[in-house]
Amino acid sequence: MSGGMLYGGDEIGALVFDPGHHSLRVGYAQEDTPKAEIPAVVGVASDDVKTEPEIKPEENNVSSTPSSNKYYIDTTFLHLPKPNMELHSYMKDGMIENWDLFEQILDYSYEKIIQSESHFHPVLFSESPWNQRQKREKLTELMFEKYKVPAFFLVKNAALAAFANGRATALVIDSGATHTSAVPVLDGYVITNAVVKSPLGGDLLVLRAREMLESIGVDLTPAALIASKEVIREKEKPKFTKKKFNFQPTNSWMTYMVKRTVQDFQQTVLQVSENPYDEKVAMNIPAVQYEFPTGYHQDFGPERFKLAEGLFDHPMLGAGYIASTSAGMCDVDIRPALYSSVVLTGGNSLVQGFSDRLSRDLSSRTPGSMRLKMIAANGTVERRFGAWVGGSILASIGTFQQMWVSAQEYQECGKAQIDRKCP
Amino acid sequence: MASGVTVSDICKTTYEEIKKDKKHRYVIFFIKDERQIDVEEIGSRDEEYDSFLQKLQAGGAGECRYGLFDFEYMHQCQGTSESSKKQKLFLMSWCPDTAKVKKKMLYSSSFDALKKSLVGVQKYIQATDLSEASQEAVEEKLRSTDRQ
Ligand SMILES: Nc1ncnc2c1ncn2[C@@H]1O[C@H](COP(=O)(O)OP(=O)(O)O)[C@@H](O)[C@H]1O
Repeated sequence: MSGGMLYGGDEIGALVFDPGHHSLRVGYAQEDTPKAEIPAVVGVASDDVKTEPEIKPEENNVSSTPSSNKYYIDTTFLHLPKPNMELHSYMKDGMIENWDLFEQILDYSYEKIIQSESHFHPVLFSESPWNQRQKREKLTELMFEKYKVPAFFLVKNAALAAFANGRATALVIDSGATHTSAVPVLDGYVITNAVVKSPLGGDLLVLRAREMLESIGVDLTPAALIASKEVIREKEKPKFTKKKFNFQPTNSWMTYMVKRTVQDFQQTVLQVSENPYDEKVAMNIPAVQYEFPTGYHQDFGPERFKLAEGLFDHPMLGAGYIASTSAGMCDVDIRPALYSSVVLTGGNSLVQGFSDRLSRDLSSRTPGSMRLKMIAANGTVERRFGAWVGGSILASIGTFQQMWVSAQEYQECGKAQIDRKCP
Repeated sequence: MASGVTVSDICKTTYEEIKKDKKHRYVIFFIKDERQIDVEEIGSRDEEYDSFLQKLQAGGAGECRYGLFDFEYMHQCQGTSESSKKQKLFLMSWCPDTAKVKKKMLYSSSFDALKKSLVGVQKYIQATDLSEASQEAVEEKLRSTDRQ
């Protein structure tokens, strides 16, 4: 594609990337939702049969991954098992960890999702509040050097979520796949030394749910392996046939697919009770029926609540606890403003009952002189994609165009310019 | 991180007219053309809080605004029977739940620019509904920093 005519046009759309452990959200600024949500794992298959093993790349040109690797990205490709395909996450601790895999994801995003060349579009990235300086600079370098973006910007995801909820000052509670964090934002800037995070997120629920399901003998064979199934009565042994493959799917693929299976169960069935879990209360709430990919189905009663309780009942890591700890680490003067602006975001905050329970737990921890106000967008899109939506709007505001780190600035001042312009 | 929206000079001069000369009771600000914060409405000295609230919401449920108000209340010093009149300026960002995300984003990410331009405001209030913007709620917030 020739880009000549694009240069003449004035409006070149900026792109917004919001990387998480569960997925990468990517799309055009100004749109209401991301164009794609790409799972944050990459399938890597190394070909055992190397046909031309003797061709060596130029010495100074050696890429760290052998050229024989094949990469599989996005749901359709990931869900189909392939011989030797191992799944790897490129995120760790809320930050990009494996840059080779991440570049694969970026290549894919430009080619398949955006379907345009990277040097045309300014790029805004969200990042976790504790992202490290070296990683921020590395990303900046990557975007300017490899992808030749005309302009770049990095914003803390918590600040974006606060803004998208109408608050410049807020205590942002972000519950994602691998962790839940409490992040104080003051006038649009994260107070980094008062961020508190816990490893209790969606993945914990998946883990607990999986243990419970396995303990009662539920077959968790993922839909991708099922060829056909029969309609059966409740709790009856499932009758299904498996798809035939002439190879054994890898363990990492199986683990991931089972996780996706349980994730669906978790999202449909689990609920946080409004008060600390009490079996007697939970018994009286109508059970929920769930059907697994095998066709097996049964009702789930008190377990629904018991499993979700793990997000809140931990004395040091429960969501209410980390929220009040974080507020307590901030200056006394701003605490009232934080308690009166608790913004809830992240996919895991959509577990039924999450916001009511957080509100209850937090109100018992709110100092008497202060008022608690929780702000949680009603729409699931705003909640799951809070940071992306914030970035999408920010990058499209006319006056924001002067805030970008331009390619020219990068050339003149180097990658450290990101620390100056996007603290 | 901020939107880059600027503050027009008229905002600052109107603010000074309230702060120094007590010429008006309140000002409503809006963001013009997504570029600059401007004065939309000025309330005369004898207007009540209710009219401020009305003007703040005049754009409808989908709109955001900023409001500055010169608030007066009686303060009783503890242990004495004397009470004195207190005056405090507060600056409010009004972003109702019903507003489009785009508006919320624009107004919240530009609030800091306005805060920095209006020097000497005693209290900043972020409001999404009347439980935060009502006269009682505001008075409670203003009193909370008074010495007992
Ligand atoms: N509707 C829902 N109900 C319950 N949990 C959900 C829902 N949607 C997403 N989740 C959970 O939210 C987590 C992902 O949240 P997200 O904020 O996207 O995480 P990350 O930023 O780490 O990618 C996953 O654990 C997923 O199961």
